[in-house]
Amino acid sequence: MRRLRRNKLAMAGGVVIVLLCLVAIFADALAPLPYTKTNFGRLNEGPTRTYPLGTDQLGRDLLSRMIYGARVSMLVGLGAQLIVVSIGVPIGALSGYLGGRADIVLTRIIDVMYAFPRLLFVILVMSMLGAGLMNIFIAIGLTGWVGIARQVRAQVLALKEKEFVDAARGLGAGFTRLLGRHILPNALTPIVVAVTFGIPEAIFTEAALSFIGVGINPPTPSWGQMVGEGQQFIRSYWHLCVFPSIAIAITMLAFTFFGDGVRDALDPKLK
Amino acid sequence: MSRPRITDAQMDLLAERLSAGGLGRRQFLQIAAGLAAMGAAGFNARPAAAAPKLAAGEKLAKDQHLRIGGGGWWQNDPSSHDFNKDLYCNGVPALWAGLMKFNADFQPVPNVAEKVSSNADGSMWTFTIRKDSKWSDGSPCTAKDFEWSWKRQMDPASKNPYSSYFYDIKGAEAFNKSKVTDASQVGVRAKDDWTLEVTLEGPRGYFPVLSAYLAALPAHRPSVEKHGDKWTEAGNLICNGPFTLESWEHNKVMVLRKNKHFIGAKDVTLDKVTIPIVPVQTGALPYENNELDMTSLQTGDLRRMREDPRMKGQVFRYPFPGTWYLTPQVTKPPFDNVKVRRAVAHAIDRENVVRVADGFAVPAHAMIPPGFPGAVDDKKIRDIQRFDPKAAMAQLKGTPFEGGKNWPKITLTMREEGYGSKPLAEAVQSVLLEHLNMKTELEVLEQRVFRAGLWKNDYQLVWIRWFMDYPDPHNEYFDTFYGKKTEGKRQAWVNDAFDKELEAGRDTRDTKKRLVNYAKAEEILQTDAGYIPVAWVARWAAAKPTVRGLEKNKLGENVVEGNIYFDMLPHLYIVEKA
Repeated sequence: MRRLRRNKLAMAGGVVIVLLCLVAIFADALAPLPYTKTNFGRLNEGPTRTYPLGTDQLGRDLLSRMIYGARVSMLVGLGAQLIVVSIGVPIGALSGYLGGRADIVLTRIIDVMYAFPRLLFVILVMSMLGAGLMNIFIAIGLTGWVGIARQVRAQVLALKEKEFVDAARGLGAGFTRLLGRHILPNALTPIVVAVTFGIPEAIFTEAALSFIGVGINPPTPSWGQMVGEGQQFIRSYWHLCVFPSIAIAITMLAFTFFGDGVRDALDPKLK
Repeated sequence: MSRPRITDAQMDLLAERLSAGGLGRRQFLQIAAGLAAMGAAGFNARPAAAAPKLAAGEKLAKDQHLRIGGGGWWQNDPSSHDFNKDLYCNGVPALWAGLMKFNADFQPVPNVAEKVSSNADGSMWTFTIRKDSKWSDGSPCTAKDFEWSWKRQMDPASKNPYSSYFYDIKGAEAFNKSKVTDASQVGVRAKDDWTLEVTLEGPRGYFPVLSAYLAALPAHRPSVEKHGDKWTEAGNLICNGPFTLESWEHNKVMVLRKNKHFIGAKDVTLDKVTIPIVPVQTGALPYENNELDMTSLQTGDLRRMREDPRMKGQVFRYPFPGTWYLTPQVTKPPFDNVKVRRAVAHAIDRENVVRVADGFAVPAHAMIPPGFPGAVDDKKIRDIQRFDPKAAMAQLKGTPFEGGKNWPKITLTMREEGYGSKPLAEAVQSVLLEHLNMKTELEVLEQRVFRAGLWKNDYQLVWIRWFMDYPDPHNEYFDTFYGKKTEGKRQAWVNDAFDKELEAGRDTRDTKKRLVNYAKAEEILQTDAGYIPVAWVARWAAAKPTVRGLEKNKLGENVVEGNIYFDMLPHLYIVEKA
């Protein structure tokens, strides 16, 4: 923790993340206007006092839409990681712990999943399930667990040969206890790191999906969708895609810096 | 000679042939309308000359160079220019000249043929070819060339996906299906260099229509035999149209030169045409940077260009009659309740909704856009679905949704499409929320997926458009809303009184009476809220003030090159800057 606190970039990232979470949670209170509120008299306006970031094609307040967009992004980031962890960790742990034939089968499955181009696979799943927030969780979750599963497997493989595990086994610890109490807690570091990097990846995937129109259905705002709709107007109405792009960029940076910090802080080699 | 009568059975065949040639029903109907409107001269009506008609004080520019493209035109590199072998090559039609061509009103007129005649029942056609018909290398382009080209297209070895296009020709089908291997059995014969005789399977009064389409263009035999698949590359290509292909840098640019051997060369003014291959996303940028003289416009750029005092005179609308509307599915709640449908109709704030389309839509109060036969503009019809939020809420009284409450989950479905269609749909969502407190989710589906569900009448609420195929109300009402259609039915809504009006309109020849039928049909349709008209389509292109010579159709609108009419470039010319 101390090392993490000393890392200024990581701390800055952390602060941004906390702020984003607050914005996402209190979107209803923070947004000056509801995100569906249109004003057909003031379409595509640049930033003014009433509309600090301007209005979109339907005369909706861009700032309010971005605030609600933060909610979607954070939900996707956390929700998808929850699925990723709950699929990836057990599979990786089982594969590493059991070894033998079970390991071979599970690793092959992981390899096959790994061989698919990630985004294409997500798009495929989305087109089967249809657009929507829940489906994005599922699509990203279903495709994102392989990385974490591999890392957990590697950790478990190494840990299960350790003396303290042998000792626990010798003392009569069962399968669940061994894995749950002794092995996994020691494998936590790579999981935490993978999750901190997985969140921005999920956010970015959602943005990409919404950008190409298979993500979140309108009128729910999402940053990717806003960029996607705004980019064709960049020469006429620059603000439509510039502001949400900045939001995506800042979020990505914040998570990446924070993730880097966490990794460094937990890396025993850097002690 | 008068042209042989074309029976309904023959029209069905024509539709089949054209669809083999990749033309949809829509294009068939356009052509059919052109046929119906043809005068006494029949297929031999003289095409309008392409020569410039300069206004007083105007001078032709020395440099007759046109740069055209962008905004969706030529956004992909053509696979070749060999329309004779591959109709879908996406090449430049202006390199070629067929026996006939379509004019700006979609009527077939003679081109390389100077005269077309038939026997009494139309089972044998004779095309008399102009003696000055030449290839771009100066050699004569004769009836033999057309015979060879058409047979090349029918040859099973060429594996054309649209070879059935010519199945009207005697023996063509057997030859194409390898049942007959002797090409001389096929009913196309060059009687001499200037006479092409075509013997058909039976009376086909429409045959000249087929010969006017891209699929009937010729190919240059010596080049094909010498260069194989590479024969339409610049440098190899020998053609017979208004232009030749000077250079073609793949995925980059094509340059056309005037073909001095073209039959109509004296009327062609442009000397050089440059067609860059640019993705649609670049929008109007190349045009604004003065890299193009003419371009198609997309929503992002139109308003800015019209507000720009230097540009606004260059932007023009071109005919694209179409209507955006909503279909509430009468089999799905809550739209099974006519009161809900009427409430929705009253809640659509059309004036405001169209604003988001940035010029690509105008408010609509009926199916047929103004200026077209059958357009209605009386107050009675305007009032049926007028925007009136109070009336909208009042409709909900006594329904489970009174006061805009208890709405079930409602999905608004549309297809993926440009030209401002999604913002329009979102604006519709927004007015429904504002005036009826009706929350909707917008689902944007890929074309084919969308259509499959549409025809199954699967969707609850549909955002959809109809692009007019030919200027007759029959097209706007019958092909869209007729209840007894067995396939391609866009909605579950059926109304017998409505169908009766349509049938009466179809079976009457008296124009005035027909229009009364169709006005009545519109009234029934709107009263029952079988559909809710929202906006009429507008499309735009831009051309530099020095570009002149766009042909106008009967309605007086500039006609821009499309997939039936491809006679635009020979008509264009450049004038000196004023």
